[in-house]
Amino acid sequence: MIKNTLFVLLFVSTNCFSQYYKSYDWSEKPKMHSITTQEEKEHSIGILKKSIVEYTSSDQASDLIQYETTHTITRVNDEKGIGQHNRVYIPMHDVKNLIDVKARTINLNGKVTLLNKDNIKEINNVEEYGDFKIFAIEGVEKNSEIEVLYTVEKEADLFGSETLQSDYPIKAVQFLYVTGDLNSEIKAYRTNSKFESVTTDGKASKLLDIRNMPAMIEEEYATPGANKIAVVYQCFPKGQTITQDMFWSNVVNNVGSKIIPENTNSKAKADLDAIMKDKKDLSNYEKIVLVDNFVKTNFTVVKNNNAELSDIDYILKNRSASDFGILKVYANYFKGLGIKYELVITANRFTYKFDPDFFIPNMLRDFLIYLPDEEKYVSPDRIEYRVGEAPFNMLGSYGLFIKEDFDYYFSKIVQSDPNYSTIKRIVDITFNDDFESATLKQHQEHAGHWSVTSRAILNLSTDQGIKEYKDYLTGSGIEDKVVESYEVKNTEMNQMEYNIPFIVNSTITSESIIEDAGDSYLFQIGQVIGTQSELYQEKERVNPIEMTYPNQYDYTITVEIPEGYTVEGLSSLNIDKSYKSNSTGEKICKFESSYKLEDNKLIVTIQEFYKSNEYALNRYEEFRSVINAASDFNKASILFKAK
Amino acid sequence: MKNILFVFILFPLFGLSQDFSNEDYIYLKRHEHIKIGLSKQNFDITKQVSEQAEYLTAKKLYFANEAMHFDSFSAIEDIDAYTYLPERDSSVKVDYIETKREFDNGIFYSDQESKIFTFPAVTKGAITNLNYKEVVKDPHFLGLFRFGTFVPTKSAQLSIEFPNDVTIGYIDFNTKDVSVDFKQEIKRNTTTYTWTANNIKGYQNEVDGESMLYVVPHIIVYIKSYEYKGQRINVLNDVNDLYKWYASLVNQIDNSELEKVYKIADDLTKSIPTKKEKAEAIFNWVQNNINYVAFEDGLGGFIPRGAASVCDKRYGDCKDMANLLYEMLNHVGIEAYRTWIGTRDRPYSYNQVPTPMVDNHMITAAIIDGETIFLDGTDSYVPFGMPSSFTQTKEALLGIDANTFKLITVPVQKPESSVTEVSTTINIEDDMFKVSEKRLLTGYEKVDFITDYLYKKDTKTDEEFLNTTLALGNNKTNYNNIKRENFDNKSDALELSYDLEIDNYVKKVGTKLFINLDIDRVLSKSKIDDDKIYDKKIDHTYKKNYITTLNIPEGYSASFIPEELSFENPNYGYTITYSLKDSAIIQTKSIYVNTLSVKKQDFESWNEFIKSLTKAYKKSIILEQNQ
Repeated sequence: MIKNTLFVLLFVSTNCFSQYYKSYDWSEKPKMHSITTQEEKEHSIGILKKSIVEYTSSDQASDLIQYETTHTITRVNDEKGIGQHNRVYIPMHDVKNLIDVKARTINLNGKVTLLNKDNIKEINNVEEYGDFKIFAIEGVEKNSEIEVLYTVEKEADLFGSETLQSDYPIKAVQFLYVTGDLNSEIKAYRTNSKFESVTTDGKASKLLDIRNMPAMIEEEYATPGANKIAVVYQCFPKGQTITQDMFWSNVVNNVGSKIIPENTNSKAKADLDAIMKDKKDLSNYEKIVLVDNFVKTNFTVVKNNNAELSDIDYILKNRSASDFGILKVYANYFKGLGIKYELVITANRFTYKFDPDFFIPNMLRDFLIYLPDEEKYVSPDRIEYRVGEAPFNMLGSYGLFIKEDFDYYFSKIVQSDPNYSTIKRIVDITFNDDFESATLKQHQEHAGHWSVTSRAILNLSTDQGIKEYKDYLTGSGIEDKVVESYEVKNTEMNQMEYNIPFIVNSTITSESIIEDAGDSYLFQIGQVIGTQSELYQEKERVNPIEMTYPNQYDYTITVEIPEGYTVEGLSSLNIDKSYKSNSTGEKICKFESSYKLEDNKLIVTIQEFYKSNEYALNRYEEFRSVINAASDFNKASILFKAK
Repeated sequence: MKNILFVFILFPLFGLSQDFSNEDYIYLKRHEHIKIGLSKQNFDITKQVSEQAEYLTAKKLYFANEAMHFDSFSAIEDIDAYTYLPERDSSVKVDYIETKREFDNGIFYSDQESKIFTFPAVTKGAITNLNYKEVVKDPHFLGLFRFGTFVPTKSAQLSIEFPNDVTIGYIDFNTKDVSVDFKQEIKRNTTTYTWTANNIKGYQNEVDGESMLYVVPHIIVYIKSYEYKGQRINVLNDVNDLYKWYASLVNQIDNSELEKVYKIADDLTKSIPTKKEKAEAIFNWVQNNINYVAFEDGLGGFIPRGAASVCDKRYGDCKDMANLLYEMLNHVGIEAYRTWIGTRDRPYSYNQVPTPMVDNHMITAAIIDGETIFLDGTDSYVPFGMPSSFTQTKEALLGIDANTFKLITVPVQKPESSVTEVSTTINIEDDMFKVSEKRLLTGYEKVDFITDYLYKKDTKTDEEFLNTTLALGNNKTNYNNIKRENFDNKSDALELSYDLEIDNYVKKVGTKLFINLDIDRVLSKSKIDDDKIYDKKIDHTYKKNYITTLNIPEGYSASFIPEELSFENPNYGYTITYSLKDSAIIQTKSIYVNTLSVKKQDFESWNEFIKSLTKAYKKSIILEQNQ
């Protein structure tokens, strides 16, 4: 009875406040917007993308009420543009109420087609994304404008985020944040535009208005998906203010109390006995390796909504855990072994840039365990990784590190060994008598992330994937190559030592690598290093430079010069490109190749390295010259002439 | 005695390790038992599925994730799943199963859902067991059973138990190299057919390969007919029944407001004299104006939506566009039929497989001046008169009227219909290789280029896209003045032109310049690997003709010009010739592929072709400075 009264009161009181979404509407009579000839060439172009986030609260309760309105107008110019915009998915995750949806199309002749709301479909529990309402836009033709407007009432949360930039240009992007007398925080990423204070229906608001926002484009050595212009915000219950420190402490306590055990679970103890059975004089590192190998070969990390997947007893019995639950397994084992550890919460830098200065739960995406005494990481839900460095997609991200005593700090995730990832390659080349074919005998050693990838593919991939990888390992880009022998070593994913290299020995022959030119032979020596990536840059570079990971290549190519021949055209084998640190003058990345002639041998040595993972955007051309130098070398050929 | 026992134990173990010891995961059994009940003309059909798999290593624990799909024609019931751990002689039950949906790029809305779960406690040696019942709600959908799947199977078995007054049809595919044991058991009221195959290897997809259904041993079973009150009633006895069923479905199409559709057709064709041109105008309109959006919702996945509604909404899937074309063409007096067809992925013919498994697509066939023209509205760029490339060689079922149909095979399009003509002029200035080139593309060559340009280019610039797709010269080629013509014009050749500068391409040694005219090395990466299992699939036949003119720079003369080279085979080949004319060297090159498939026994000949071509590509011209 009391509840009922409260509900009514609550209802009445919220009704007292006007909500902006109720008065916000699209124009009654739509008109086509004019666009430039350049804009006509795009597959599609945004005319307007407006998001309104509105918080209110009732007088009686401190509960927040949150509405989100999305309004877009998009011009579609061709089949691809139509395909990008004629299907609308409204995520219903955390949505209490879909208040209104409308959509219409206006074509070049001014004909307007309105969405028939009966055609809105509902789909539930889609993969990991939750529920959706979906519909297809009706009446779209080439050069139409599509307009969509909807408002949802959300399960009010204290925070949120909105990605403003898309993979097509948008002429006007607006983010309106209506919070009235509630305390709030807002921050925009990767834009110089500033929020201005405005009043919306008498309520204090902030507006971010950005004109002519370019498309985010795919670029190599970059994380475009995480570099889009975006907004994050926080809104606090009436009369309250919450600092970032308070948010973080809350996360730390919450996560810490759930994961970090006071005592080791008894089943975990039994597991440890089994893991360590008959093993003596183990170092801590070896113990950690044994634990990690055990987990990776006995547990499965599961993505579904089963709440028990974070219950330690259930997990240890079923050997199944959520990505969160699996942390408890490690925490219990490490506790049982007396090994110091820290929990790390971070985000894959290719999808989100973790920001210690502004808390939103959306960035708590990935978990690692850090072993401070060893300076190593465990990646609990990454089957391809074993104790060592952090996975490359988190390298350089900030992380929240939580100690066993719930103390915490933020740090960038770095490699303990800066030279972790290397490839050594020794190639010996001989020709048969009449230059019909070349034989390449190769020895390669892959270390660090290279070896992780190699092992993962050979152990986990499909037959086709393994076949393609073998092609890569034996020299990509040599079209007619015949693999005479091929042998791989240290392929097991479970390794006891840190950074054991993965080894490939192979012998291949090729005819196409030699070109017949009258009485001489052109040998495409550059092809020996495999196809190299080339960075194109017609447009100005947009994204800051980020490598997949720092790495180094050391190649020695020895060519036996057949008797009766001389070799010419060697100058193209000398390449020296580098990018030097402004402060120290040291080379941070470089490609250097040179040759020497010894008796009947031509010996080419190459060293290429990228010591840092990040490079300055304004020095992109220097970085590009180093990357492209390898591609230049790949084009090098030398000439054998009869004496 | 001890010896005998020893042999006895070793033998079965040896049998297993011999076959699959290099595997990480295998099926010990995959059994399916279909039980058909019939009462008063109502079928009651269930499939009892029973699977058992073993983890020989702990590498691929991800196989523990299991999904069972169902839609409005089926239901999954009575799931019993557990992991058995032989080492501990204990079992851990699956206690959590979720119902999920998936986003599908091709289908916007589908009623397909999945029951998903993860087997607990999998590790090396674990054996997972899965038993469930699939209720088949419509007697047209008994489906297909694969004896082989992505990993090896020790025991694969399909059985079907049915009342004696029901007749069952079946046909197996690709079972030549496996021994399938067939058993028939007749009881008083029911008959059971059982097919068993043991030790079947794993089958995985291959890039460039024909679809798996051409290789995997499998069987299709279907209900032919049953007896009711002394009468034989057909379900899917032969293709006549399949068609009758299809006809009953299209009979349910919403035909309201067709006048809207007719008006569009009239407006499009009123000033056009010939039937062929009228048909072309209508086809182009549908290609241009109806966007592909697919809904698969129960029988709605089989019944085209009303033509007027499709016109209003401006979207539809294959059957919606097929029906719209059918209505528009017939309205303007062109004989046209709704047409069912399987794409090339389905290796069946209608007479072999009179079930819905045989097809997965719908088009329209127009008969104009005695010629059958296949129109696929989903292929936005295919020229009028050509079928979509993925329907070539396939049998089309033309629905003539409620009782009549016609089967016509879609012909393979000739190489002359899909031609790339390339004319190239090359100048050498200060050792820089400067090229001006024009390409004309017709037929499927044009379709492929536009499709790649629209859907594979992403946010790449034109230069980067051309550098990675045409790959002319090397990947350091500079493109300038890129021009594209006739992108949207369906009848004319696509025209692509650009100027190139290729660095590091001319090799200068002493007084000699080494110059290779084959900047386009198409097919050079097409060697078939020795371990390729499936036939090589080719999407369409084609011809590529090149004329390349190298202007000899002043002060130089040609000191070496390669000889004529060629490879001739009815299915593929090339010719390259060089000639010297005034101060220019002219290379004429033509390459043709005149088959849609390279069979395994022809791999060697194909590789000879590629090897010969690659070698020809490597021939350089030598220019020498005049003394």
